Amino acid sequence: MKEFTGSFLLGSVILLSVLIFFCMIRAIKGPRFTDRVVAGNMISTMIIVILSILSVYMEEPFLVDVAIVYAMLSFITVVVLCRLVIVRRRVHEREEQEDGKR
Amino acid sequence: MENVRIVAGIILIAVGLFVYITATFGLFRFHYVLNRMHAAALGDTLGILFVLLGLMILVGFNFHTLRLGLIICFLWLASPVSSHLLAKAEFVTFKHIKSECEVVEK
Repeated sequence: MKEFTGSFLLGSVILLSVLIFFCMIRAIKGPRFTDRVVAGNMISTMIIVILSILSVYMEEPFLVDVAIVYAMLSFITVVVLCRLVIVRRRVHEREEQEDGKR
Repeated sequence: MENVRIVAGIILIAVGLFVYITATFGLFRFHYVLNRMHAAALGDTLGILFVLLGLMILVGFNFHTLRLGLIICFLWLASPVSSHLLAKAEFVTFKHIKSECEVVEK
């Protein structure tokens, strides 16, 4: 039973790697930049799952800490990117309005 | 009793992997970003719940389990916030959004 569990965990890691490959295709093809951000967000979620599965497979709990830090990093990345786009857009619109008044 | 625990964990992990396959399929099936975001959020919440719940059952009860639960808590708090910001960025930058979905003017 123990051997079967180990091989099942390894197989699920391989399946998730294949799914990451497909997400990467979407990130390259995506027509708009939000498509790429969505695909990247999904890739980071799958990597978190892979890290937690590996921590159970190798019986080393410290890999879960790595997964937590990775989750925080991916969250910060998406938030900073979207805030930057929204704020830049708002400034751009205000400048256009001031140009229209003149 | 030991075998029942292992089988339950394996079934939960298999359900989670199925959810991930569905989410990746939806990423290619839909034709617009806001619809694709729906499929991606499925993997973010339901997929990680099932896979990590299965892993928690496989490990047993110790500090390793609590840390895996911490990942679920953090992702459930973080994923809606990032999805909301992404949708807002899409709404602000895309000019032909009224042809893709209904927009309520305030």
